[in-house]
Amino acid sequence: MSGLIERLPPLRWTAALLRRLGLRGRSVVIAVPFLWLLVFFLVPFLVVAKISLSEAAIARPPFTPLLEWDGLRAIVTLNFGNFAFLFDDPLYLNAYVSSLRIAFVSAVITLFVGYPIAYYIARSPEGRRSILLTLVILPFWTSFLLRVYAWQGFLRSNGVINNFLLWAGIIDQPLVMLQTNFAVYLGIVYTYLPFMILPLYANLVKLDESLLEASADLGGRPAATFFHVTLPLSMPGVIAGFMLVFVPAIGEFVIPELLGGPNTLMIGRVLWNEFFSNRDWPVASAVAIAMLVILVVPIMILRNAQAKTEES
Amino acid sequence: MNETLTVAAAKPWATGSERPFVRIEKITKKFGDFYAVDDVSLDIWKGELFCLLGGSGCGKSTLLRMLAGFETPTSGRIEIDGQDMTGIPPYARPTNMMFQSYALFPHMTVEKNVAYGLHRDGMKGDEVRDRVADILRLVKLDAFARRKPHQLSGGQRQRVALARSLVKRPKLLLLDEPLGALDKKLREETQFELIKIQETLGVTFIVVTHDQEEAMTLSTRIGVMNAGVIVQVGEPSQVYEYPNSRFVADFVGTVNMFEGRVSEDEPDYISITSPEVGGEIYVGHGVSCVLNQQLWFAIRPEKLRVSRERPEKEHNVLPAVVEEVAYFGNLSVYRLRLDTGKLVQATKVNLSRSEEDAISWDERVWVTWGDTAGVVLTQ
Amino acid sequence: MPRASTILLVVCILGFVFLYAPILSLIIFSFNESKLVTVWGGFSTKWYRALLEDPQILGSAWISLKVAVVTATLSVVLGTLAAYVLTRFGRFRGRALLTGMSTAPLVMPDVITGLSLLLLFVSMEQLIGWPAGRGMTTIIIAHVTFCMAYVAVVVQSRLADMDESLEEAAMDLGARPVRVFFDVTVPVIAPALVAGWLLAFTLSLDDLVVASFVTGPGASTLPMVIFSKVRLGVSPDINALATIIIAIVALGVFIASWQMRRAARHG
Repeated sequence: MSGLIERLPPLRWTAALLRRLGLRGRSVVIAVPFLWLLVFFLVPFLVVAKISLSEAAIARPPFTPLLEWDGLRAIVTLNFGNFAFLFDDPLYLNAYVSSLRIAFVSAVITLFVGYPIAYYIARSPEGRRSILLTLVILPFWTSFLLRVYAWQGFLRSNGVINNFLLWAGIIDQPLVMLQTNFAVYLGIVYTYLPFMILPLYANLVKLDESLLEASADLGGRPAATFFHVTLPLSMPGVIAGFMLVFVPAIGEFVIPELLGGPNTLMIGRVLWNEFFSNRDWPVASAVAIAMLVILVVPIMILRNAQAKTEES
Repeated sequence: MNETLTVAAAKPWATGSERPFVRIEKITKKFGDFYAVDDVSLDIWKGELFCLLGGSGCGKSTLLRMLAGFETPTSGRIEIDGQDMTGIPPYARPTNMMFQSYALFPHMTVEKNVAYGLHRDGMKGDEVRDRVADILRLVKLDAFARRKPHQLSGGQRQRVALARSLVKRPKLLLLDEPLGALDKKLREETQFELIKIQETLGVTFIVVTHDQEEAMTLSTRIGVMNAGVIVQVGEPSQVYEYPNSRFVADFVGTVNMFEGRVSEDEPDYISITSPEVGGEIYVGHGVSCVLNQQLWFAIRPEKLRVSRERPEKEHNVLPAVVEEVAYFGNLSVYRLRLDTGKLVQATKVNLSRSEEDAISWDERVWVTWGDTAGVVLTQ
Repeated sequence: MPRASTILLVVCILGFVFLYAPILSLIIFSFNESKLVTVWGGFSTKWYRALLEDPQILGSAWISLKVAVVTATLSVVLGTLAAYVLTRFGRFRGRALLTGMSTAPLVMPDVITGLSLLLLFVSMEQLIGWPAGRGMTTIIIAHVTFCMAYVAVVVQSRLADMDESLEEAAMDLGARPVRVFFDVTVPVIAPALVAGWLLAFTLSLDDLVVASFVTGPGASTLPMVIFSKVRLGVSPDINALATIIIAIVALGVFIASWQMRRAARHG
């Protein structure tokens, strides 16, 4: 462990800083994760914000400095042009709207697929429950990239699905499925399904069976019991699951890149291209800042839902 | 002369001759705006088995946790064996605690659990083994030394927890609801075992409990707590027979309470007019009160006598109807409705196996009590 | 009533088919003789041989493994500290900030995490000369930053479930806080530490986007190599790679659940 501290300068600095500050015991325990997250999570956003206000330049790194020293005073050049550019070019606005739409629709579909599965597992006998749950989580442990890749093989025009449908005589020429928004929805639902099922299951398994029996005893048919008892009580799970799919899906890059077509606009992809293809770091930073602003609201909703789940 | 000496030695709190072993001085603990413990002062002497008795949320556990060092008092100080405990962390205090949940380390065997505290004191090898073996023999668990906590019954776990907290020979043992998780029969057996162990080792015990019967059986003295305040401190019989407030009378045991006003105030008796009785209550001793003062007369169910014939007495005889009779085996409880509408409870010990002629439902009866059998409460 | 449960069962079965069909097809076609991924041309293991002879894949797999092991270990240390501080330390200054910083990475899109860390590293290099260039070290730092948040969540829920009087009992018996932590807390939360380690390991091994941003020359991780191959089109050796990964994971999960069941039986 000590070798590692020597090897990784951030850890070394942290240790030295703590010694310098004379922190001991409790304060050190707080300071170590706190400083790590401060330096590598919070400060980077400030750097992004800073660079989003500079201009692209052919240099290393490819942007102009905000602060210049002309020998007498500091000159601060703030450039809001990158943000203006985001509003001027419909590409960015469209990408934001389309990301939100794709993420929302996918999250709704995932909810409808995931709820019955979570419900079924939660109502299974105890032994079978853990096996089913393992089966749900198992794909998550295998590579995300490879699971998306598997769908490529399924959806392409000479892929498994088309071959099967042609062989069965249902269609006479291959359906175009790959490189469409349909494939993107499918990919998101597929890869994010466990994130929907797990919080739903965690909620539903805690549901007291006697509540369902009480409802039935009072004359509630299964459907009424479900809509008046089960569903309202599982709302925190529904919200948590929905947000765990919706929020990360907004910024998704791999799925639109591998399954979507050239017209599938998603903001993560735009940012990637801005950065890697156009090498325009300031605009990429502005895109990231705008994306963060959009994400704040759903993240708040998610945190509230989690707080409620913890209370109960 | 000789007799007074023994009494003084057995009951140092009665004479105040000895220096108290635990001194709690004006302790207050606030959580936010809530006073969990409010300006409590209490002295406890060496060798006592002191019970803090109260309902949930009365502050008894907080007081115990401040003695152990898990909570820091907002103000006030605690002294144990002449040593100020302010700022001393739990691991450096001469106390040990037996937790309500027992808090046995699930990953250690019984032996390792018990030895843990000795190892922390730097004790090694044979000495640890001997001490652990001794204490396990004392709690009759020597055969279970190699088991893990989850392989034990509730009663056995309780004894491991006791052994673990006693093995370091603490000056003061703090017990948080020590018998709370046991079923009734086991609890009664364990009560006596606990007293025996305490007497054998001579350790001072402070027990927190919500069970008044448990407090009665175990303790040398009881401190009744309510809303962060100690309401009354006394020996079990004192607290039961001479409660100092309506709260204590009601909390410890069952009681019939009549509200009234002083109508006669003489040096050797008083008379209370109570609409609930429909007349006068005669109290056969003097009470410091003023005429027309509002007060309460409390009387325990076992001090009421029920009979078909009117007793030949001038005072304290009330007509009533039997509403219910509950049979408890050793005794029967009568719920009687006085003619004023007030319900009272009376108990009767069942001396013979079957009483053909026992008083039963809907009978008209007379209720009566001795002139000094009740307590007059002014608060 | 039986009708509702039948529908439920059918939906559930379809759900599992949906989850596993693509994976199964990957496995089947990894043994395909033909180069066409979707047409069966007879059984063959030649893609496995091709994979084992591909220095690029093997090299990047080795890098990914090293990164994942270091990341998982550091994440468990830092994530556990964060979780411990948040569940046991009550109020302190900066608590709200720490809570926010330790949960936000969970939902932060990879592209933002990657971009912001890269820009940080570039700025730091300009300012203080470290990190000089980018590579495995920067990938590890980036991975630890988002993996420790996952570890913190897992460990936090375990710590919250744990009976706090266990720690108090140890302290009462004379153990100082650090001893209490290692003697009592760590053994009790050990399952969560293992789960957190595995989670961080998997996330690190799986990450494409963040690593693509913060990497430098010579440090291509396995997902980066897979991604470039997949983007170019069909590559049956990727099927073989996928099959190997799935086999390892399935074996790991099998052993883990077997161990857990044994532990549950013996306590």
